[in-house]
Amino acid sequence: MMNSVLKVENLSISFGGLKAVDDLSFEIGDKMIYGLIGPNGAGKTTVFNCITKFYTPNSGKVTFKTNTGEQINLLEHSVHQIINYGLARTFQNVELINDLSIIDNLLIGAHSQYKTSALQQAFLTPRARREEKEHRGRAMDILNQLGLADKANEIAGSQPYGVLKNVELARTLMSRPKLIIIDEPAAGLNETETEALAEMIKKIRDYYHCAVLMVEHDMGLVMSTCERICAINFGKKLAEGTPDEIKQNKEVQEAYLGKDDDDAEN
Amino acid sequence: MSILNKKQIQYIIFGVIAVLLPILTQAKGSTITLLASIGITAIATLGFNVLLGFSGQISLGHGAFMGLGAYISAYFVSQMELPFFLSLALAAIIPFLVGFILGLIALRLEGHYLAIATLGFAVVIEEIFAELSEFTGGWSGTKTTYPIIFGHKFDKLSVYILIIIILVILMILTYNFMKSATGRALVAMKKSEHAAQAMGVSLFKYKLLAFSISTMYAGIAGSLYIHFFRFAEPKLWGITLSLDLLAAAVIGGLGTIGGAVVGVAFLKVLPTVLQMLPVFGDFDGLAFVLTGVAIVVFVMFYPRGLINIPNDLYHKFFKRKRAENEEVKA
Repeated sequence: MMNSVLKVENLSISFGGLKAVDDLSFEIGDKMIYGLIGPNGAGKTTVFNCITKFYTPNSGKVTFKTNTGEQINLLEHSVHQIINYGLARTFQNVELINDLSIIDNLLIGAHSQYKTSALQQAFLTPRARREEKEHRGRAMDILNQLGLADKANEIAGSQPYGVLKNVELARTLMSRPKLIIIDEPAAGLNETETEALAEMIKKIRDYYHCAVLMVEHDMGLVMSTCERICAINFGKKLAEGTPDEIKQNKEVQEAYLGKDDDDAEN
Repeated sequence: MSILNKKQIQYIIFGVIAVLLPILTQAKGSTITLLASIGITAIATLGFNVLLGFSGQISLGHGAFMGLGAYISAYFVSQMELPFFLSLALAAIIPFLVGFILGLIALRLEGHYLAIATLGFAVVIEEIFAELSEFTGGWSGTKTTYPIIFGHKFDKLSVYILIIIILVILMILTYNFMKSATGRALVAMKKSEHAAQAMGVSLFKYKLLAFSISTMYAGIAGSLYIHFFRFAEPKLWGITLSLDLLAAAVIGGLGTIGGAVVGVAFLKVLPTVLQMLPVFGDFDGLAFVLTGVAIVVFVMFYPRGLINIPNDLYHKFFKRKRAENEEVKA
């Protein structure tokens, strides 16, 4: 039994008779970079949305080891509570607040960390000021670490897509997460950007000591960053193992790469 | 210069100018009435902007909350003989609680139910104002006096100054609030409910907070209204007032503090200007029609609102480079 941060057991959800996720189980170890792969429509993002409670699954259990080491079933909590336990996510299409500066976007990520009340904040009490300053400092540290410090005061909407993806990653770190869930980080990025992203994900894990779960199409990124991979198709698990094991797996090759072993990705 | 860039300082300067203007020009009583009316409505619009401009919710019954504040304040001052500031506080707290309860019911549902619920609330409460004659004076209205504060009896000008002071305090508090974690949560919620939820923002809680705060502002505005005009009747607080608040927030500039003041000033000065024109002055209700036109024009062509016009013009003519950069990106 490994020391796992997230354990998904027998997760199932269906939409109007269609089983999007079917009896799926997998487990992510502490500080592990874990990949969830599968062809289009395999149900990857649905799994994400179930774990983060954007969808409520029909059955199953999602056990998460919180910041305090407690084991909780995420399915018993509401969507806005998930981040409090140390699980932060990004979105496939980047959900940042375009009118706000990048640093303000990061501060939204720290929302769960604020302790002062709205009233204290309106009256700028010393505690509220101190707290704001502390989180601003943390946001600058994170931007520095990810090489985004020079863009801190730029308006998010004016930045290129690649930068926004990184900002969204930086935003998750503000909540002091134990596990970051990343939805298709390489979508819309070119090859150089994808390579930089792989480095960044590893760096985030090493520096912030958190596990990473990513859903990804780009096999290059998955194979070079993930320590373990779970391949699914039609909501069912095909195989789980190290990148090499997954590469060798016949079923995965058939489902994911097509029957005739040709090189077609996606 | 840097101190002048601080918004809080700008609001105080605005307040000082607003107070000095009628004193130095020895303005007529009607001018002070107009200015006071702008100040009062601006307070309610400021609250409305917290709701619509920052959190993206809409209410069609804020006029009713203003009425509630007005009657509560008049009742406590005239009938119960409570001090003015205590009545003002009650006129803020009770609408806040009523808004909280109404929000508890209406905000459970997704979509535009808040607009429908507040509209219903406004219709019902107008009847209640009319029927509850012991409290409100019924259709014939209720009277009260200028406030007496610490034994000092206020007159028209000093009530006006009080209104501006309260407006400026609320502008500063609203600004601080909007720049805080709570304010950012509201903005996040308006722009992306998914992102807000994933960051730990409870949509229900923050919608409720924004709505309750905005009803509190309406209550304060109502209290100041009745102590300036010293008279109120049920039909004042109907849909026309609620829509005026909506119009002022949109025309002034959604999600801005100064926009609330500018938008209200535009709406209040417009009819006065129209009356002075030869032909247009004879049309009754022309201002009302033009308000509607103005909303449409601003929503369609200039959603950033009046408050942003100087800034945008400045960037257009003096910072061409930036504009060009933006075009490239677009």
